[in-house]
Parts: sequence; structure tokens; C-alpha cells
Amino acid sequence: MARITIDPITRIEGHLRIDAVVDGGRVQKAWASCTMWRGIETILRGRDPREAWFFTQRFCGVCTTVHAIASVRAVEDALSLEVPLNAQYIRNLILIAHALHDHIVHFYHLSALDWVDVTTIPQADPTKTAAVGESLSDWPGNSDKQMKAVQAKVNGLLQSGQLGIFANGYWGHPAMKLSPEVNLLALSHYLQALEFQRKANQIVGILGGKTPHIQNVAVGGVMNAINLNSLATLNMDRLYMMKDLFDEVIPFVQQVYFPDACAIAGFYPEWFDIGAGVNNYLSVPDLPTDVASTAFDLPGGTIFDGKLAGVRRISGQRDEYFRKGVVEDVTHAWYKGRGPQPPWQGETIPDYTDFQDDGKYSWVKAPRFEGKAMQVGPLSSILVGYALEHELTRKWTDLALARVSAIAKRPITVDQMQSTMGRYLARAIRAVVLSELALRHWGLLVSNIQKGDATVFNPPTFPKDAVEGVGFHEAPRGTLSHWVVAKDGVIANYQAVVPTTWNASPRDEQGTPGPYEAALLKNPVANPEKPLELLRTVHSFDPCMACACHTLDVEGRTIATVKVL
Amino acid sequence: MTPPRIAVFGLGNVLLGDDAVGPFVIELLRAGYELPENVAVADLGTPGLGLPAYLSEADAVVLVDAVAATGEPGEVRLYRRADLHRVPPKPRVSPHDPAVQEALALVEFAGSGPRDLLLVGIIPEHSTLGAGLSERARRACQPAIDAVLCELARLGAPATPRRELQPPNIWWAAH
Repeated sequence: MARITIDPITRIEGHLRIDAVVDGGRVQKAWASCTMWRGIETILRGRDPREAWFFTQRFCGVCTTVHAIASVRAVEDALSLEVPLNAQYIRNLILIAHALHDHIVHFYHLSALDWVDVTTIPQADPTKTAAVGESLSDWPGNSDKQMKAVQAKVNGLLQSGQLGIFANGYWGHPAMKLSPEVNLLALSHYLQALEFQRKANQIVGILGGKTPHIQNVAVGGVMNAINLNSLATLNMDRLYMMKDLFDEVIPFVQQVYFPDACAIAGFYPEWFDIGAGVNNYLSVPDLPTDVASTAFDLPGGTIFDGKLAGVRRISGQRDEYFRKGVVEDVTHAWYKGRGPQPPWQGETIPDYTDFQDDGKYSWVKAPRFEGKAMQVGPLSSILVGYALEHELTRKWTDLALARVSAIAKRPITVDQMQSTMGRYLARAIRAVVLSELALRHWGLLVSNIQKGDATVFNPPTFPKDAVEGVGFHEAPRGTLSHWVVAKDGVIANYQAVVPTTWNASPRDEQGTPGPYEAALLKNPVANPEKPLELLRTVHSFDPCMACACHTLDVEGRTIATVKVL
Repeated sequence: MTPPRIAVFGLGNVLLGDDAVGPFVIELLRAGYELPENVAVADLGTPGLGLPAYLSEADAVVLVDAVAATGEPGEVRLYRRADLHRVPPKPRVSPHDPAVQEALALVEFAGSGPRDLLLVGIIPEHSTLGAGLSERARRACQPAIDAVLCELARLGAPATPRRELQPPNIWWAAH
């Protein structure tokens, strides 16, 4: 028996820590802990609600835009303030571009090397590799010549002995199964992905003014001045500059990312039987298409016990099912208080003990929906969309499953997506669905402006009495909600229930583990010194510790420690 | 000949005590100095794996960041490319984990990295939520700025002190 602790930076707080007890080659018990106080919301008390978004987008350096938009939505909800159509479309385009950027980075730069063994690439036949690429899609970047160039680069690096970017892989691990050709193809796309994540980011910059911290949102709309004839504003040139960028990013998502995710899933079908974990799912509707935020292009809802037929729709921010459903439990978190509390009444009073396996062990609170632990993220959004018969979700999910089944030579069903591999596949499906919606929302924005509507902002007014609001957003990592109480134009309480709080949540009052903890149970571990399989499952959630501390380690320390029990 | 594209990037979370020292230095630099047109200055926050996009757009990069190093809080340390390459990247758990070494190795492998790189590192005293900059980190700001100025001069793009002082825009610390 061994206990594995994965803790990226052991001497500095602020990271996700995973502990797993392994016996007989499988995980028997797991804990997810965030090692830093998550009480960042207290900074907002007493501030002007109109400025909250400027601070909330600093919660997290990777998900800046999502916290900005969830924040203004929360304040708008508290004031029952409508949002002009142009502002909805502009925000939606920012959210889509950010999500495409984020999903591309996740697949290629965060997690591909969990599945792709770079050290086999010298054995690949570049001509065969190009043929594999052509069999997957029409992408022009799969030529024989390009594969040879990438192979030469990798050969050079491996021969130099300085592995550089590849110094951290678990190479030669028995769980690595792709052929040298597929590894070469994936690595060449990993390099190409750099350019497309940059282009997606440029779209955010055109609309948001700056990246990574956007400057253009406001409670009541956006601050982009629209004048088709002025150089200094959002004019036709800028709108088409944005469309040109989408026209480059979208083919990459549809012809490279999506087929790659299907292929990797097809080559590792055993991972559809691993890592299901919590099978209750929550997602919220997003991409509003009306000023009152009641109509959405992406549906949201809940699924319990993995039963898609029992899906229940969440209609919007005003839906009491959502507003009353969310509570946070601090039994196993380093905070004072017990039992579940709704976020509007939420407190964040630290009560640090130490890491206690059966007591308190995390700075993350345990959010629950109607008392249940919930999984959030692209898998939830895709399962809910599929169950609600959302057309785009059905189209791309069916296509993905057909591709995966053909490669795996066994049928993979939508129910089997409740697994580690399902989370990777669902993220790619979500990316292609968003890639189709990108041009639709661009078209909606342009035609609305051409109709003569230049309104971008409705000014807010704050009542003396306390008002409560919730703003949600189906972010790249799942359901995000900001909860605000404002009184006399000042923030009285503010809580952000972020996707990783749902997924990385510790046990609750009943001892029910959170999604990471549950998904790690029964995970295979071939070699506790190289816990690759654990990283695959943890990465499948795309972890994101909001408010993660950033301090750069310049001396190098190990991340995984193994203690024999 | 077009002048090289030079970027000075502050890294760190402004809400987390001394982790804000990079963004702090950026705002002090903006307020106190006029910079040549080919020098871009930005507070990038904590972009994690988003960093390669910014590194690949410049010929020379100066990063200012809090660093975990053996030494006294407030010490300023300078690191060149080779120093950073000595620290192998680790298996990452989240896209957040600091990604400077990794981002640099990635853009280099892709063939698009900056030719020149300097990391101005400041050892933090505390990275506690909302605590503001510690006295020692505050005292480290001027030496850190001096290091940035020196590097800009070396790159042929010297900054000049502003004739009229502007207040730095430390918006996150104001209440």
C-alpha cells in the first residue's frame, strides 16, 4: 500500500493537492485539497458593485473574462437591469473566443502529453503519419513535409539530451499506447495549436480592448462605442478583422482538435470505463439572445444518478430551481460554521487546522445542489444538451461517438461518456459546437448594428434597500456563479461559486466525496512513482484553482511524493 | 531596419500580497518613465499556459515576477534564459501553475521565442490574500525598476524619466 501526494509546489500555498491511497494497483481512497484560503470575495465588501468585475477578473489569471462577465450579470440581476442586444452579442463573442482558446490550450498544452509519448517519435514514418492525418480530416497542415520537419525537431531535441519542454513527461510509461505515427501527428498539432490559441486570444483583445484583462464590460452592458464610420470605435474593419480570425480558428477546431480528440479517445477506449465519479451533473444556459436574458443558444439543467432521461432544465438566472438549489458546506473545509448555507448568506471565516484525513483538509468549500455533490464542466453541458435534444449538441456528439467507435472497433455510447475519456471528448464537442455559434453571434451583432442600433449600455441605479442577485456563466470549466448582495450602492456580501469548487470540493457533512475524489477511486496506477493515470483523470476536469498563487519556482522541486504505508 | 519589439511584462496576482510585485513594478514604470515606441509594457496577471502567446510576439522580453528562491524577502534576483532552463518543467496539475519556464521552452521549440530574455525576480515576504505589498517587497521595487531600465538601455531602447510625475495606477490597493 502506498500514499501518493501530488502537490505542485510544496513550500508555497495556493495549489491543488491530490492525495491517493493505492493498493493492488488501484486507488482506494482519494482527497482533493486546495492549499490556499479562498476568501478572496471579502476584498469586495464595501466596494461599488459597478467596479466588482474589475477585481473579480483578477481572481484567476487564466479565466479573467469569465469572472468579469459573471460579476456584471450578478449585479444586473440584482437590479433587474436589461442588457442591450449589442452588449449581449459582444459578451457572447468574448465568451466563445475565450472558450475556444481555453479548450485548445487544455487539450494540446495541458493534457495531450499525458497520452502522447514524444520519445517514440524518432521511430515514426512521416509518410504514414501524413496518411493517418489525411484519413482524419482535410486539414492542410498534415503533409509529409511538415511531419518530417517536426520529426527532425524532436530528434534534435532528444539527441541533445536537453529535453526542454518535454523534460517533465512520464515517457515510456506502460499506459502510453499510441503508435509513433499518431504521436508525431499529435505533436505536430500541439505546435500548430500555439498559433491558433494566440489568434483566439486576439479576438478577445479586439472586443475587450486588452488581454488578458478585458476593459470593455460594464454593469448594464459594454463600453464599446459602435460607429461604423469611425476609426476609433467598433467599426466594419474591426468586425471583419474579428471574423477573419474566427475564420482561421474555426477550421482548426473542426478539422484538427475535434478529430484528434476523437482519435485519441478511440485509441484509448479503456478510459471510457475509468473515472466516472460523481454522476450528478449541473450546467447553466448561456449565450443569451434577448435583452432580458431569458432565451439562450446553449441550454442548461441537471441530471442525477447518470440518468439522462431525468434531465431537468434550468431556464435562466431567475429560475428558482437554481437560485434555491445551490448551497455551500464547510464541514471538511478550513472555515468556521457547519452545515450548508446559501451563497448570499455565505461567510468566509478561516478556521485552519492541518490536513486531517477525516476532518478538515481543504480551503475549498463543498458546494451542493439540493444536497447533492455535482460534477460541472463540458461533460455536464454536453450531457444536459444531449438529454434536452439540443440540435447542435446532438449533431456533434453523434458524430464524435461514431468516429470514436469506428477507431475503437467497439460501440461507445453517450452513457459511457460518464468517464475520464468522456470529459476530454465532451470538451472537444463543446468546442465545435461553440465554433459554429461563433459566426452566428458575429452575424447577429453585425445585422443588429446595420439595423441602426448602436446602444451598448443601460445605466444602473441602485436602491437604498438590500438587493440580491446571481450571475451565472457556463465557463470553459463549467458552471460559474457570482452571488452579490448590494445595499445603498455598496457591496454587502459577495460569493463566487467557481467550477473548480464544485469539482474539487472536499467531502460534505454526510461524508460524500467531491467529483475529483470520487473519479479517482479505482483508477489504475501502474507505478506510484509515476502517477500518470492519476494526472489523466485530474486533467480531464481541467483544474483551475481560482485565486491560485503564482509565485514562480526558480529552483525546481519535485511534485509527486510517494510514501509506503 | 525595424527596431526590435521589446516587451516588459509584470506577472502575479494583484490580490495576493507580494505576488503583486510584478504588476506593481509595471505601474511604477509607466508612471515614472517615458518609453520608446517599440517597448510594450503590460501587467499580464497570472496567465499560466496563456503566456506563450505573449512571448512569441516579441524579440526581447523582460519579465518581472515574484520568485520562490532561497534568500531574504525583498532580494532582487536576475535570471537569464540559461538559468531558467536549468529548472526542468514539472508535470503540471492545472493550467494555472506558473508557466514561465514551460512557456519559454514551448515557444523556443516552436521556433518563435524571444531572442533576449531577462527575468527580474523578487523574493516575496508573504503572498497572503488582500494584504498588500510588504515593506520589504515595496523597497525592492526601485532596484527592480533599475534592472528593467538597465536592460532596456542594453537593448538600445533606453527609457527617460518623465518631466512631470504621474501617480502610479495601483487601482487594486485603493479603497
